[in-house]
Amino acid sequence: MHVIDMGHDVYKANDKVAEKNKKKLDKYQVFSVNVMGAIGSGKTTLIEEAIRQLKDKYNIAVIAGDVVAEMDSSRFKKLDVPTIPVNTGKECHLDAKLVEKALDEIDLSNTDLLFIENVGNLICPVDFKLGEHLRVVIVSVTEGDDIILKHPMIFKTSDLAVINKVDIAHAVDVDAEKMRDDILSLKPNVPVILTSKHDWESLETWISFIELGVKEAQNR
Amino acid sequence: MHELSIACEIFEQVMATAKEHGATEVKHVTLQMGRLSHTNPEQLSFCFNVLANESIAKDADLIVEMIPPSLECECGYTGAVDEKKIRENCKFESELLAYAAVMECPVCGKPAQLTGGRELIIKSIEIETENQD
Repeated sequence: MHVIDMGHDVYKANDKVAEKNKKKLDKYQVFSVNVMGAIGSGKTTLIEEAIRQLKDKYNIAVIAGDVVAEMDSSRFKKLDVPTIPVNTGKECHLDAKLVEKALDEIDLSNTDLLFIENVGNLICPVDFKLGEHLRVVIVSVTEGDDIILKHPMIFKTSDLAVINKVDIAHAVDVDAEKMRDDILSLKPNVPVILTSKHDWESLETWISFIELGVKEAQNR
Repeated sequence: MHELSIACEIFEQVMATAKEHGATEVKHVTLQMGRLSHTNPEQLSFCFNVLANESIAKDADLIVEMIPPSLECECGYTGAVDEKKIRENCKFESELLAYAAVMECPVCGKPAQLTGGRELIIKSIEIETENQD
């Protein structure tokens, strides 16, 4: 019997590809946003709103991850932005290799902002970096106000947290402020934005946060 | 499924290393898993066994060693978390929540960066070869 030392870190193998993706994006001064969140939290809608407001100022592209269908990517295509649908087939998350492949199909020299919409899931995307500059987690009040403490690591590892659909919090008996407090108890100082697609001011906060990142990327 | 893709990666790496060393059988695969990684050891074992069913690793045992979280602080401290202190100070009863909440540096008490506890490492494999020298 022989013991062979391997020391192969499965997640680090993904991280290495993610680093490569990030370097490539940096080279073209592209600001990339990994949008994570549960099914139905409003990821697609919030990305659409940002595209509508920013597409005249910046060149935007989208990688739209989904298990099988292409509903989300067709919504982005309607907004006239280059969109690469990525079907994971059986996987519950995007990984760096899938993004690496998708990046080959994007004209990065003509891109300022890249949205990567992850598969709807609060668990698996946590372990897989993609090469993003900003990790965003979006939850909605309809998921219940215990959703945050049920999925701590996605909040712990995100750079921005969005609580969406706050206009219907009362109807679903949820306290959005409790959700904000729970996020801050896991990660103090993380920016938390409360949004509703029916409240323009809240969308403006979300969009200006993204625009700030684009401007920083262009000054790098 | 998360565990299936991870198990595929482990299986491919294990088989490549086993082949490289002229293995006739893989007896054990030892993994190190961070306590904060979102991987389930039982599901991972199940997926690995399904994948290895018709290979020289079909009877391999997947041994999982759990790795506790570790920290890095701006004061210069790097090392393990003070588990007892975290549990005493944290309002959360769940272990994962306690770890995921702010982790304080055991030396200066400031919130510190999590540096370990999320990894998944194929540490070693134990193999049989034809030449038992």
